[in-house]
Amino acid sequence: MKKAIIILTIVALIAPMALFAQGSKEASGPITIKFWTHEDVNRNPLELQYIAEFEAANPNVKVEYTTQASGKMADIVQTAFAANQGPTIFNLPISDEYAYIVNGRVAPVDAKAAGYADYQAIKSAYVDGTLDSVTVDGKIYGLPLELTNWAILLNKGIFRDAGLDPDKDYPKTWEDMVAVSEKIIQRDGDIITRRGFDFRYGYYLEWLVPMVEQLGGKLISDDGKTAIVGDDAWLKVLTFMQQWGPNGKNLGSSTYTAARKLFNKNNGDIAMALTGYYQTARIAEENPEFYASGDLMVIPFPQFKDAVKEVANCYYGHFYMVNAQASKAEQEAAWKLIGYLLSHGDEYLDKAALPQPTKKLFESPEYKAKPYTDVFSADMEKAHIMYYSENSAEMQKLLKSAVESVMLSGVSPEKALATLKASAQELIDEN
Amino acid sequence: MSDDREASAIMKKTTYRGIEKKQARWGVAFVVPSVLFFCLFSFYPIINAMFTSLFDKRILSLAAPKFLGLGNYIYIFKSASFWNSMRATLVFTLGTFIPLLVFSLMFATFIYNICGRRSRGFFQIAYYTPAVLSSVVAAAIWLLILAPPGLGNQVLNWLCRTPGVDRKWLANGTMLQFSTMLVYFWKYIGYFVILFITGLATIPPTIYEAATIDGSSKWQSFWRITVPLLKPTILLVSVMAMLQCLKTFSTQYLFTQSGGAAQDPINVITLNIYETGIRNQRIGRASAMSIVLFVIMLVLTFAQFKISKSDDVDY
Repeated sequence: MKKAIIILTIVALIAPMALFAQGSKEASGPITIKFWTHEDVNRNPLELQYIAEFEAANPNVKVEYTTQASGKMADIVQTAFAANQGPTIFNLPISDEYAYIVNGRVAPVDAKAAGYADYQAIKSAYVDGTLDSVTVDGKIYGLPLELTNWAILLNKGIFRDAGLDPDKDYPKTWEDMVAVSEKIIQRDGDIITRRGFDFRYGYYLEWLVPMVEQLGGKLISDDGKTAIVGDDAWLKVLTFMQQWGPNGKNLGSSTYTAARKLFNKNNGDIAMALTGYYQTARIAEENPEFYASGDLMVIPFPQFKDAVKEVANCYYGHFYMVNAQASKAEQEAAWKLIGYLLSHGDEYLDKAALPQPTKKLFESPEYKAKPYTDVFSADMEKAHIMYYSENSAEMQKLLKSAVESVMLSGVSPEKALATLKASAQELIDEN
Repeated sequence: MSDDREASAIMKKTTYRGIEKKQARWGVAFVVPSVLFFCLFSFYPIINAMFTSLFDKRILSLAAPKFLGLGNYIYIFKSASFWNSMRATLVFTLGTFIPLLVFSLMFATFIYNICGRRSRGFFQIAYYTPAVLSSVVAAAIWLLILAPPGLGNQVLNWLCRTPGVDRKWLANGTMLQFSTMLVYFWKYIGYFVILFITGLATIPPTIYEAATIDGSSKWQSFWRITVPLLKPTILLVSVMAMLQCLKTFSTQYLFTQSGGAAQDPINVITLNIYETGIRNQRIGRASAMSIVLFVIMLVLTFAQFKISKSDDVDY
């Protein structure tokens, strides 16, 4: 009996290895493409329509289209890949996707399947530099769904309600932002009931780093060996955030509902939000009265008064990528589908306000005539792609920790900077 | 003589199976599925984590991981982040486990002594209801309550006649820790109340009657009869509550991800494991932390069992 129990236990321990072990597969017969993407009320129905068209034209291909909340996508996709169960096609911001390239988890673009003659043709189709972040050793590993930067969306009605002229009094500098927010803000004692503006907490690589760069600082030195360069710049930004928060001027905080979630409602909760061009399409969809009211305005990313360099909010790209563990047939079908989807750049812009960074689109009169694209385009000229590397997520977390410590935990900017420097340097040295 | 030798030889050849062993076979047959399940979903992951903790394994990497031996353990024991997580976990556990134990016993005694069956049932349901909610829903509800304009501030300001004061439930480090303890306490108190009520029901009322006849007050009966005889239940509740507090994750995760709360004050060990393994992709290091947590839980559980065995009470 004891022997039987021991044998059974050993079998129970070994059995999972047989069950879960998987290598790459070679498919035969009908092809199923698992397509995972983030939720977008405007883009998802558009892509489902294109997928139906693609399936009709390619009867041996079936596409399973799954959407998740954007905040959850990185974890879900990563967990799936860790179990070798990753989707055939997926998209994430490049800061999350880069690790997939360096770890060989995604396949290079099949130019012909995607509708291009060769890699040179792909590069020629896109705005210069757009594909740099997904090009490694001469191979391109993704095609851009969108290239997005953030500017400030402004609600003119709230400005007027606060006695301000939105066309003249909109904030051009961060110092203006503080002054304007102080005029717009309403409180019940300490509790804010209407904010002028609030930051996009959690996404510090996108907006905090440009603020530091405006003052001459850097996240990483040019040679890539030193982290957190320019102490004065970093101190000034951390002090600014400390003053912004509940222990300073109390103009906003991460503990209030995110600005971009309230802005669309036009309920008088928030006057300005830092967000992308895609938000305008969401406003048109969710609150058409607000969209058509003429009270929506877009202003450039503010600069510090004593900025040494004009830097706008970083842009980031979402790239469609293909799982390297998918069979050759699945990869080819996947690139064919991606090529088909992305050939509808005009409709992505019209219906989902997602500008694909193709030369054809960016230089078209139609794009330039779209409302608000002029501000986003002008800001993009002054911006660079957000920091991406295998450890982007860790770097993001370190910045989050630094800002939270000064804003919420009462830590001095000097101490927060010292901790940030040490941790970020350790991260750079480890990798 | 030869008959004895023959009988002995037959005995040696024949394997004697008593009735107890025959019955035991059925017991083993019923237990084997659970053992298999445990081996597959608990034992195997523990062994796998122990093995992974010896390597520098990255979650997305297909390359063979580099063997570090105890390198991951040395790193985490030198890491300020790990010790902050230990502090956060210890503070949370002590701040939640002790009130859970004390108040669940108090509420159970109160409910058990209510005369009406309906009233007793009502209170049991009222206390237990939060336990059936998922942790995600519970955290989402409390995030709305504890947000600056939420009910938490409004009710407290009304009670204390302090309009407009922001208690910074999610902003201040100390208040944030208190908030997570409050949510956990609210969610799980009912579960342990029910366990105590079950334990109280096993104590024969005749013992209380005899004590009353002998002149014992309610307070004396509680300390001299109820608590000693409830020891097995107290042990069960204390072990379960302590282990659950050490493993807490969803409240802290949701508070920091959805609620915008600062992470460092409530960066409990499980949250650190998640961040290290999933966000930072260092699954080897995360495995080392989870083994350390496992050892801590094992040691504390063993200690609790040892302490409780010291003076068992029989009647």
